Amino acid sequence: MTDLGIAIDPSVEAGGRGAFRMFLRNKAAVAGLVVFTFIVLVTIFGPPIYGVEAHKMAAGPFLGPGDDAGPLLGTDYLGRDILAGVITGGRTTLFVAAVAGAMAMGLGLVVGSLAGYFGGWIDALLMRFTEIFQAMPSLLFSLVLIYLMGPGTWKETLAIGLTLWALPARLTRAEFLRVREMEFVKASRAIGSSDLRIMTRTILPNAMPPLLVAATLLVVIAILFHAGLAFLGMVDINTISWGSIMGKNRGYTLTAWWTVAFPGIAIVITGLSIALVGDGLQDAFNPKLRGR
Amino acid sequence: MALLALNDLTVTFDDFTAVDSVNFTIEPGETLGVVGESGSGKSVTALSIMRLIEMGTRAKIERGQAEFTMPDGSTIDLLKQNETTMRSIRGNQIAMIFQEPLTSLNPVYPVGEQIAESLRIHERLSRKAAMARARQMFDLVRIPEADKRIRQYPHEMSGGMRQRIMIAIALCCGPRLLIADEPTTALDVTIQAQILGLIKQLQVETGTAVMLITHDMGVIAEVADRVVVMNQSKVVEQGPVDQIFHSAKEPYTQGLISAVPRLGSMAGKDDPEAFHLAGSLQ
Amino acid sequence: MIALARSIGIRLGQAIGLLLAVVVIVFLMIQIAPGDAALYLAGEQGVGDAEFLAKIRADYGLDQPLLVQLGTYVGNVAQLDLGESTYFSQPVLGLILDRLVATALLAGAALLFSVTIGVALGVFTARRPESPASHGVTVMSLVGFATPVFWLALMFIVVFAAKWGILPVGGIEDVRYEGGWFGETIDMLQHLVLPAISLGIIYLAIYSRLARASMLEVLESDYIRTARAKGAHERVVVYKHALRNGIIPVVTAAGLQIGNLLSGALLVEFVFAWPGIGRLMITSIFRRDSPMVVGIVIFSAAMVIIANLLTDLVYRLIDPRIRVGGSR
Repeated sequence: MTDLGIAIDPSVEAGGRGAFRMFLRNKAAVAGLVVFTFIVLVTIFGPPIYGVEAHKMAAGPFLGPGDDAGPLLGTDYLGRDILAGVITGGRTTLFVAAVAGAMAMGLGLVVGSLAGYFGGWIDALLMRFTEIFQAMPSLLFSLVLIYLMGPGTWKETLAIGLTLWALPARLTRAEFLRVREMEFVKASRAIGSSDLRIMTRTILPNAMPPLLVAATLLVVIAILFHAGLAFLGMVDINTISWGSIMGKNRGYTLTAWWTVAFPGIAIVITGLSIALVGDGLQDAFNPKLRGR
Repeated sequence: MALLALNDLTVTFDDFTAVDSVNFTIEPGETLGVVGESGSGKSVTALSIMRLIEMGTRAKIERGQAEFTMPDGSTIDLLKQNETTMRSIRGNQIAMIFQEPLTSLNPVYPVGEQIAESLRIHERLSRKAAMARARQMFDLVRIPEADKRIRQYPHEMSGGMRQRIMIAIALCCGPRLLIADEPTTALDVTIQAQILGLIKQLQVETGTAVMLITHDMGVIAEVADRVVVMNQSKVVEQGPVDQIFHSAKEPYTQGLISAVPRLGSMAGKDDPEAFHLAGSLQ
Repeated sequence: MIALARSIGIRLGQAIGLLLAVVVIVFLMIQIAPGDAALYLAGEQGVGDAEFLAKIRADYGLDQPLLVQLGTYVGNVAQLDLGESTYFSQPVLGLILDRLVATALLAGAALLFSVTIGVALGVFTARRPESPASHGVTVMSLVGFATPVFWLALMFIVVFAAKWGILPVGGIEDVRYEGGWFGETIDMLQHLVLPAISLGIIYLAIYSRLARASMLEVLESDYIRTARAKGAHERVVVYKHALRNGIIPVVTAAGLQIGNLLSGALLVEFVFAWPGIGRLMITSIFRRDSPMVVGIVIFSAAMVIIANLLTDLVYRLIDPRIRVGGSR
């Protein structure tokens, strides 16, 4: 049997290609993609190339950026190289954000698609359940989860993932409700496709554009979340991340601003590059803007 | 002397000429039908007369005149007036009603207040006096239970009722020209006849001239005195209704006429017939 | 009126049900968590002492069946009893309420700042969609979205407090200050400026873009054309006809964001040593003061739910279309 969802609705594939071309024409979005790729490459290959260990004393303490005696971005109160910290810390931050974002997205997809596809009491039950998690301020909720589970990179990732799934769940539900009523879904149902097949092969591809945009935003939120938790000192103290560098140097902000400034700038640039990609995707998928 | 004389009106959107050198006149008290397909430039012409076309769009009035006769007998070119003068003319000398009565009313204010607003702008009435006049307008446009409905919001009313509110807003300051842009297109067929009848009757009562924009020759046949036919941004033919219906020269006009179903008021007849005013409008 | 009262009643009932569900979930989370609940409740008071743990179990009813425990817990919360802090040996609720004003002040000021300035910027730029300011709002909203609030707060301290010395570095009052209530209020407001702006500026970035998009859409709608066709002044068209419709999405977003605002307030309180609930939360975690931690989560959920109720009410006042018949 051919896949009816794709076969009947040619706009999906054509739309996908048109959207890709739209995206490439968006300079800001392409710039975001390039910068983000660069950051990822730096966090993967940077530490061995740079060769300075982030948690070891590299020079005298409190050397400012550009100080001849010290490294490029200066040193902290223990003489640790800030640039090495930013390069190494990016690994943890980006890894946790990517995995937590994927976890939240996956959980949200399952809950949202079940609610949106089946409707009725399943929808009501799942949405009430989602509301419970939205009522608790998100950062407090992850704090409690880490408090209960204890620190550790995987536990932190789990805590952030378990906190952020409500947003994609609501969005997935809304998209499934919208697509569910379309003719090609009815057609697919009419030829006797199974629920699972309709959900994954017919509805999901058509609901994908806004979910992709949401996924990019979710990764940014996860970066900020992990940075916040690490800054508060709620994570494994032996792991270096952008947030933990800022947290450890917080007390010296007034004497050595660079120790806090640069990890933060790394977060802003990374987050902005991902947000630009998300923004570009949103515009590319918006048929109103296409062809402009 | 004509109430409004358009001469060589030309409006462009970037490279596209939406209205191309349009000429026609509207006499005091008459009903001029402007007919054509969507995109033929009818609405752009109307919004240009109101000088609303350049607001928030890329449209530009390139050239032409729109000579309007003021109550004191003087004539002014609407296209050359500044915004302050135009504000004193809009809703006061020239009023307009639109195609979509739901989206044309502000959803967050009661309808009575929206009628009163015109009176407060142009006649500087107090809130109380304006509301009292708005209440009278409900009777004029034949809306029952005025005391209750005056406090209602647009979403609480039917489409026909909303269009009556739009007519009340347009007529409350006694304009000498009413521009009705497809006023019945968004309504049910039975309601269409009621609204057209109402416009026609109010025109007799108030003496206002009406510029009725429509794509429907049947509507023209029922209410218009004269017709302007537009196609692809240009006026292709104009003249009295009888003449156009009997001996249209342009093939385009003949096509429009032949598209009118010979039903309803034109059933069994070749000629158009003016709308019957006798009888209840409700 | 009856319909309005009824729909508000329904919303109130839903809110109470939601809060109850939060309490149950939090209770279950503690139960599922690895490790002995008594250990958590014992906190740092002496984990190894078996006799002490037995006493804790008896005190908190941990030797009872799970459902009984749940019932007791929910019953206590219903009577506004959130337990006793193991660190302060005082009722949790009282300790939270002592710090409520500081947090409400911070969150309220940040909300006020971000919504008013955000709407003003949105209106300004929507009327000039191609202006540099308009593009600036779009870019700033993305930057604001990607900026950690605590980092911004620290940078503000570096610039405004340390370098220029025009505003205090932290705290809510200058203890050296002596003066009347007026002087003390001024002193407190000075301390509020940096925390409120650090927190508010992130949301300002988001709301200004939202307001811009919403106003752009509203200004193109048919009823704006009607208002102009009436001869209304452009000022009236924008501020009477467009604004009231244009702020509806901003109000909705601000209401939905209350929980995030409290999350941000927690970080800002931490940075500025602002004596609010967020700071209490963090210190309680470090002290392993479990009743306090759990109490704050439940209390802040209640605040979010109440804020959502208020948003719903404001929403009804602005938009008559949803005044009757509940949600849209």
